[in-house]
This record gives sequence, C-alpha cells and structure tokens, in this order.
Amino acid sequence: MSDADKYLYGDRSGMSNPLAQADWASKKQVWVPSERLGFEAGSVKEELGEECVVELSDSGKKVKINKDDIQKMNPPKFNKVEDMAELTCLNEASVLHNLKERYYSGLIYTYSGLFCVVVNPYKFLPIYSEEIINMYKGKKRHEMPPHIYAITDTAYRSMMQDVCFLCANLSSGESGAGKTENTKKVIQYLAYVASSFKSKKDQGSTALSHGELEKQLLQANPILEAFGNAKTVKNDNSSRFGKFIRINFDVNGYIVGANIETYLLEKSRAIRQAKEERSFHIFYYMLSGAGDKLRSELCLEDYSKYRFLSNGNVTIPGQQDKDMFSETMEAFQIMSIPEEERIGLLKVVSAVLQLGNMTFKKERHSDQASMPDDTAAQKVSHLLGINVTDFTRAILSPRIKVGRDYVQKAQTQEQAEFAVEALAKASYERMFRWLVMRINKALDKTKRQGASFIGILDIAGFEIFELNSFEQLCINYTNEKLQQLFNHTMFILEQEEYQREGIDWSFIDFGLDLQPCIDLIEKHSGPPGILSLLDEECWFPKATDKSFVEKVVQEQGTHPKFQKPKKLKDDADFCIIHYAGKVDYKADAWLMKNMDPLNECVATLLNQSTDKFTADLWRDVDRIVGLDKVAGMSDSMHGAFKSRKGMFRTVGQLYKEQLGNLMATLRNTNPNFVRCIIPNHEKKAGKLEPHLVLDQLRCNGVLEGIRICRQGFPNRIVFQEFRQRYEILTPNAIPKGFMDGKQACVLMIKALELDPNLYRIGQSKVFFRAGVLAHLEEERDMKITDVIICFQAWCRGYVARKAFAKRQQQLMAMKVIQRNLAAYLKLRNWQWWRLFTKVKPLLQVTRQEEEMVAKDEELQKVKERQLQAEEQLQQYETKQQQLNAEKLALQEQLQAETELCAEAEEMRARLASKKQELEEILHDFEARLEEEEDRVGQLHIPTSGASGQIWRERTAEAGDG
Amino acid sequence: MAPKKDPRAPIKKAEPAAAPAAAPAPAPAPAPAPKARPVDLSAVKVEFTADQMEDYREAFGLFDRVGDNKVAYNQIADIMRALGQNPTNKDVNKLLGSPSAEEMANKRVTFEGFLPMLQTIINSPNKAGYEDYVEGLRVFDKEGNGTVMGTELRIVLSTLGEKLNEAEIDALMAGQEDENGCINYEGETSDRDVSTFASCLVACI
Repeated sequence: MSDADKYLYGDRSGMSNPLAQADWASKKQVWVPSERLGFEAGSVKEELGEECVVELSDSGKKVKINKDDIQKMNPPKFNKVEDMAELTCLNEASVLHNLKERYYSGLIYTYSGLFCVVVNPYKFLPIYSEEIINMYKGKKRHEMPPHIYAITDTAYRSMMQDVCFLCANLSSGESGAGKTENTKKVIQYLAYVASSFKSKKDQGSTALSHGELEKQLLQANPILEAFGNAKTVKNDNSSRFGKFIRINFDVNGYIVGANIETYLLEKSRAIRQAKEERSFHIFYYMLSGAGDKLRSELCLEDYSKYRFLSNGNVTIPGQQDKDMFSETMEAFQIMSIPEEERIGLLKVVSAVLQLGNMTFKKERHSDQASMPDDTAAQKVSHLLGINVTDFTRAILSPRIKVGRDYVQKAQTQEQAEFAVEALAKASYERMFRWLVMRINKALDKTKRQGASFIGILDIAGFEIFELNSFEQLCINYTNEKLQQLFNHTMFILEQEEYQREGIDWSFIDFGLDLQPCIDLIEKHSGPPGILSLLDEECWFPKATDKSFVEKVVQEQGTHPKFQKPKKLKDDADFCIIHYAGKVDYKADAWLMKNMDPLNECVATLLNQSTDKFTADLWRDVDRIVGLDKVAGMSDSMHGAFKSRKGMFRTVGQLYKEQLGNLMATLRNTNPNFVRCIIPNHEKKAGKLEPHLVLDQLRCNGVLEGIRICRQGFPNRIVFQEFRQRYEILTPNAIPKGFMDGKQACVLMIKALELDPNLYRIGQSKVFFRAGVLAHLEEERDMKITDVIICFQAWCRGYVARKAFAKRQQQLMAMKVIQRNLAAYLKLRNWQWWRLFTKVKPLLQVTRQEEEMVAKDEELQKVKERQLQAEEQLQQYETKQQQLNAEKLALQEQLQAETELCAEAEEMRARLASKKQELEEILHDFEARLEEEEDRVGQLHIPTSGASGQIWRERTAEAGDG
Repeated sequence: MAPKKDPRAPIKKAEPAAAPAAAPAPAPAPAPAPKARPVDLSAVKVEFTADQMEDYREAFGLFDRVGDNKVAYNQIADIMRALGQNPTNKDVNKLLGSPSAEEMANKRVTFEGFLPMLQTIINSPNKAGYEDYVEGLRVFDKEGNGTVMGTELRIVLSTLGEKLNEAEIDALMAGQEDENGCINYEGETSDRDVSTFASCLVACI
C-alpha cells in the first residue's frame, strides 16, 4: 500500500515548509520565459519602468525582461496542488511547473478545475490494483488524491443518483499520451465496481452471465486494438481511430451491455506506412501467428513479399506478434465470434495485402494498363470469392454508364493502381466497421435499452502539423466542438456555483467563444462553411482542389477566424484560427478524400461474391461514389452524377452527421474531462519536455480553461479556512467570542481594505480574483515573520532567564558547600565530635525517633483503612435504607393487590349465584315450554279426530237425507 | 520539579519591573525579587532604584568570566534577558552599533557602560503581547485545538526569523511537550500546571 500511496499522495511536505515560504516571500520569485525549460524561476531584483531585472535562481544570471513577460510564482503553499484551479497565480508557467513537480514525484494525475490531466508515466505504476479500486469506491472526488478512478466513480455515482443522467468521460490528447490506456482503466473500474455489486447481491445464476459480459467488455479492447492500432514513431500501440464506448447500466447500476462507435479510422495506413511505422497490428499478428493450415487457406506469404507493408517486418520491443495472434483469437472466442466469421475477417485482411501485390504496366502503344502477372489477382479473387476474369476486367476496363448506355472504358496504369488502393482501403474499413458492429452485437446482451449509460470518448486531440490536410481538419473540428462543450459545461457549473453562493456576477457563455470557428467549418449556408463548400465543389464539373480553395477564400475570406496565407507562394492554402492556435491547411486531394471514390464494378462484384462474409461486407454498394464519376468530372459528364445525387454521401457529410449525433448525446450528459499528455517523444519515463507539454496544454484546452477561470473569481476559500489562515492579518477585526463564519470574514475583508472588485462573499466561501491570495499570502508571511521574531526574542529571554536562575542557584549552592566544608574541616580532627558521631546511632533517642516514624506510618495506614471502612458502612447503610423503602413500597402494593383480589372474588361469587338463579329460571321455562308443546300436540290429535268425525257424520246425514 | 520552580520565581517577579520602567517611574516591585541576596546599597543611577541597580550589578557580575568587571558584547543580550527584557537580536545589534562577529566576541563593556543600554531596551520594550504570540502560534496549529506539534515548533523556530540554535531550542522545549508531542500554547491549562508553555507566556507578559 505504501508504495501505491507514494504515487497517489506524493510528498507534499514542501507545502508547509516555512523555509520555502519565507524564501518565496523575501525573494519575490517569478517565472521568466526560457528557451530551454519553458520557464525558469528567478527573483525580481529591480524594476525599471516597463522592464525588470530578474536574477535567475539556477544560474544566478541577471536578465532584463519586459514586465508583461514575467509570470508570478505561486506561494509554496500551492506546491504540487492536486487541483490547479486552486492556484492563486493562474498562468502557464505555474501550471507547467505544478505538473512537472508532480510528474517528477510520480504523481501523474492532476486536476485542473473540471479537467483531470494525466501525464503518461511510461512505466508501470502500482495504482491500478483492486485494492486501489476499493479505495476509490464511493468516495467523493476531493476526498481522494487525483485518479482516473475518482473521475470514473464520480461519473458512476452521478449516473446512479439520477436515473436518466448520462455521463461521459472525454479523453483527448496527442498520440501516445495514454488516452486508450486510461479508457481501459475506466472500463476496468466500471467492470469491477458494477459487477462486484452484483456478486454480493445475488450470487445466483445471473452472476455468472454478467461476469461474462464484463469479460467480453474487457476483451473488446484487444480485438479493436489488433485491428485498429498500429505502431507509430510516437507510440508503439497507437489507436488509429477514435471511439465512443457506451456502457449501459440498468436501474440498479449493473452493466447490462455496451456499444462502441468508431470515428475516423486511418485507413490509408493499410496500404502505406511512414518510415519505422507499422501497418495495423493484425497484419503482423496474422503473418507471424497463423498455423500452416491457416497459412495455406489464407494464401499467406512472407513479410517481404507484401508491397503494402512498406517497412517489412517491424517488430515491437517486448511484444510477440505470434502470441498476440493467439490472444486475439482467444478474445474472439470470448466474444463468441464463430470460427467462420474469424476466417472471413482474416481472408479480407489477407486480401487487402494481396491487393497491394497487383502490378500494372502501361501498354506499349496506348495509355491502357495491363496486368502481366495475375497471381495476386487470383489470390484476391480466391480469398474474396469472386471470379478472376471478372475482377481483372473490372479493374482494367470497367463498364461505365454513359448517358443510358454502358461502355467499357480502359483504365490507365495510374487509374488502375488508384482503384486497387482505394479498394484495399475500403475493404479494410468495411471489415473494421463490420467488426465493430459484430462486437456490439456480442456486447448487447439484453435487447432492452439500459436505464442510463456512461459514455467514454477516446479520441485524438488537436493536431497541428506544418501542413495539415483533410484528416486534421476533421479532428480539429471535433476538438473545437468538444472544447465548446467543455466551455459550456464549465460556464454552467460556474454559474451554478455563483448562484448557489448568491454572488452577483454575470458570465458570458464561453461556449460562444468558439462558435465563429465552428461556423466557419460546418455552417450550411450564408455563407457556407468549409465542409459545405467542399461538398458543393464535389458536385461541380471540372472542380479541382484549387477551385475549391478559391471558392473558400471568396466566401469566407473576411471571416475573423479565417486567414489567407501571408505569402503568395506559401505552401499552405489557407489558415484557420482554432482556439488552440493558427493551423495551416493544404487542400491537396481534398475533393478526392471527401468523395472517397471506388471502382463501382468491383464493388458490385464483391457484392455478389460467393463468399458470404464478403458479400455481407459489400451489402450497400449503391452508396459508393463511382470512380468514373471522379474521372468523369473532367469530361463534364455530370449528367449521370446528378441523377445519383442523394444516393451517396461525402466523407465530410457523414462525419459531420456522426459528430452531430455524438455531440447531441454528449450535450445531454454530465461530462467529465480527462486530458492525456505525452511528456516526451522518446517513450522515456521521468522526462518531461516543457515545450511539448505546453503545446499540449494549449491544444487540449487546459490553458483555455484557465483563461476562462481568470475572468471570474477562480480562488475560493471556505470561511473557516480563510479565517484560520488570514486572521493574523487583521488582529483586531474580529471581536472575541463566537462569531459566525461569514460575518467574521466580512469584518476581516473590511479590515484588509481590498478593492471590492477583487472579491465576492458568498454563502459559504469567499471568492477572489486570481492573484489576490498571493498578495494576502505575502502579507501574511511578513506578519508571521514579525511575530516569530518577537516570539523568538521572548524564547531567548526565557532561556536566558532560566540559565541565569540556574547560575544563581549554583552560586548559592557553592556558598552552602563552602560553609559545610569549612565546618567539616573544623570538626574533622575534634575528638569529641568523632566520639559523638560514633555513639549517636547507638543511642535510644535516635532509635526512638525511627520507631516513632514507623508508628506514625502505621497510624496513618490504620486511619486510612478506618476511613475506608466508615465510608463503606455509610454506603451500606444508605443502601439498606433504600432497600427498606423499596420493601415497604412493595408491601403496600401487595396489600392493594390483595384487596383488589378479594373484591374481584366477591364479585365472582355474586355473579355465580346470579347465574345459578338464572339457570334455574331457564330450566323452569324450558320445562314449561315442553309442557306447552305437549299440550299443543294433544290438542291437534283430538281436532283431526273431531273433524273426521264431523265429516263422517255429515255424509251419514246426507245419506240419510 | 523543585529546581524548576525556583528559577521561575525571579522571572515572574522581574517582569513587572520591565513594564513600569517603560513609564519611567521607578518601580517598587523589584524589591521582593532580590530577597535571595543580601541588599547592599551603593552606586545609584538616575533612572533605576538602588535595589534594581544592585540586582543588575549582581547579574552583571555573574556574566563576567574574566574578572575585569566587564562583559563581552555577545553577552549583553543575555544579561538583558536575564534581567527580564525580551530584546530581539536586531534591537541589540542596533544598540551596539552593528558590531562584527569578532567585535561581538572580543569587545567588552563595563557595568556603567551597560546601564544606558539596558535603559534603552527597557524604554522601548517588545510590543508584541500574549495575543500576538497566540495568533502567531495558531498559524502552526494544524488541528486548531490550541496545541502545536513540538517538532513543528522546533522547525519554525530554527528556520524562520532570528533562528534559534539547537541548544536554545532544547532548553526552551524541555518539559513542554505532552505525551503526544504537542505543546499547549493557548489560554488556561486544565490542571494549572505551571510548567506549560501557555502559563510561561502569560507569566511573561
């Protein structure tokens, strides 16, 4: 644990080191820009109007510097702060310094307001164990040192609290900064937290299947990495695509599924790589790891045989491609992707490689291309399940629709090569998309939508190269949008805080700051933005990249965020002023990139492939921009073009739409931002290049965030702390006794005589403008030093008096000793005295004394015992009295009870007699009733007898009559 | 404990001498202070009572290690302190005309020369009061419960301002820390233990 603690808490002893504090106060330390270190510490020696003389701390050199270039240094109290928003001097130098100090101490995570900044440590840190996860579980952000887990937990909790709440973790940064690693950590954390819940709650059968889902979720990464990552100069395992992972949770906070969306796969890597870089991992995994059977099935060849692997077999140190292959295959198994689909995927991968080996030649008398050797074509056809002849024909002389008829049009060598490359790229991309789709299917266990989700966006950060192309425009546009989201979130949160604290301050929505630039890129019309213009240009016949640039300049030339290149013969075509800085764009091949054309004939062939997998990949052929369209542009064949309008979409359009959806999702979430920073380009641990980091801070919006912070009151201190720390500055402002925190602070601030514009007093905190605290801190330091000196003077006095008193005592002791010695010397030889000393112990008197003492002691003891006994007696007596009283009470109670009982008994007797009487009466009545009934019975019989008699008498009478 | 109590007595008594002296009226208070020593009236300086003078001379004599009835410059501050003053090193340095380290060790002054110095210090006493010290110490009170860590205080006193040396700090801190290594600096102590820091502070002011 202690090891991990070192990487979490670090050593912040410097914070309260009074020495450093005193140093800071006395020297007026500042940051001075430096070529080598970014910023160097120095102390102001002299001020000469606009300029200052600064002595550099390290070298001792004195430099003259313009005042505006100097950045204030924070008091040592703020050394290695966990949240840089707390810094009172918020400037680039301080942010860089803080990050650096923390990084050197092994602390890679740092908060910067809403951001969590993480610097790639380039080594293993023991801060990702289960123990640590448990440490962070359920903790609030400020309770624990900065960590990606803290951010994740916050996201998870806020999602749990509000069922419809959605959270997103956005990480962005340069390649190799650790985006993907941190994304993995987030997933690891969620998989652990959200499933450990479950195993506790219901350990029944469901637990197992859920565990499987989490396993699959974690396994999705190696698969995606195998197909979407590659080794680049900067990063051995660089993600060549952006992704948005959505982890769905049910109402109880259990993971119920996940969904991955990918953005901007760098598909050109499949056909060409820069020096020392690799293509996608899977190519190498497959070539190294496939067994003999698989090799022949996939028609694999040696590394050197493939033209698309520009650099042959480049290996990654510390990684065995062969092992990785089996790992990937295992991952497929866990994802329950069946064998035939796996083979299908690998076939496409192999086919992509084979496509590169198709070579074309120019025929001698015409421009037409021919293919002297069709081995590669055969292999491709075999792998993709299409007919070789059809395939070759489709490449060399595809059928093109002219008007209403189809004609075969022979292709030049360049055209054929382009078509093959486009095909390879498209195949790889489609295969990748299919893979993502397949993973999503595997991860989406329950068909129902989860109650809420946590989204994790892992996307490249801002890119500024010397010359930037369409891809950079897309990624920068994305980042511009994300930054806008961040600014907006920050604005909302700030406003909430100010409202909560009842502070009167109206912010401007910082989100709007970025709107002009976004408009410049994406606006539909009036005037149309760059992407729209590009799309428009794609529809025009005879349009070229140049005409596109002209159009952009014409439409957007006056846009404040747009700039024409300064020099006429500049390499760049135009510049856009992004929030991160000015970016030069070169519009080479933008039309082509935007349309991404494909050979339609081949696509149709593939669509009808006998290989089920391939056919599936090419299901939607009709959305493709045909090669002929592009070629046709120069031949003014736009008639055919128009008829197809609406059928297909340009890359820009698709991306804009995808991004739009993403932003809509994110806007409804409660975003958390993680910014990854690459410390150096050498993949070396413990090294931090200041300029590189500064550039990234600028690009990823950390500095932008700080700029916004500075507009408000970035430093907040709760009343209690403010009072504790600065009360010393206002000794008599607060009256004695208890005082409400707010009131006390009001009094203190009044006594400090601050400009009202420098502070606001809220409900629980005091708000300060940037830098005010540094000033207070300085004053406090001076004051403390004063008091300390006085106190030290007193201490010295105290010590001196003590020493003096001791000396006085010594003097006295000396005198006593002298006197005694003198007496001794006198007595030493006096015989009578000697006799006396000898006899004295034998004397009764002396012994009596001893006995007396002994008796006295005994007496004392007996007395004590006696006293104790008395006390005890007293106690017992009182106890007895108590008990007696209790007994009496009980007796009384008993008496009362007995009386009550007697009464009740009497009552019972009465009632019994009454009952007896009544029973007798009842008896009588029953007897009477019986009697009566008998009598009734008797009466009946005579009656019937009588009536019969009467009847008989009558008839007899009648007979008589 | 016994040897501790005794020295405290003169300190306590000596203190009031400082305050009234500030207002130049001669103080009757010091009379009981020197009762440990026989009173012998001799030379009288205008602003001190005879009692005080005798006291001072006695103390002065104690510091004379050579026997020439003089003390070295670097002892002056300590004598003043022994006599109940709390001058800062800066104050004393100013008084002596900012001597060099060598001068501090070698230059010597007579009792007659010393008296006006003492008078000066007494006339401008250290203005900080108990409250100020408590405020100052509160800064280092991490828990906010009226105590500071002994180790922390050691560091503060040995690194800030007019730094105290190890020996001085040891002498100062002897017996001040409680079982947790904390020092109570604030207000009344629960058991009225005379040896607490706070009571020393109170006593001194």
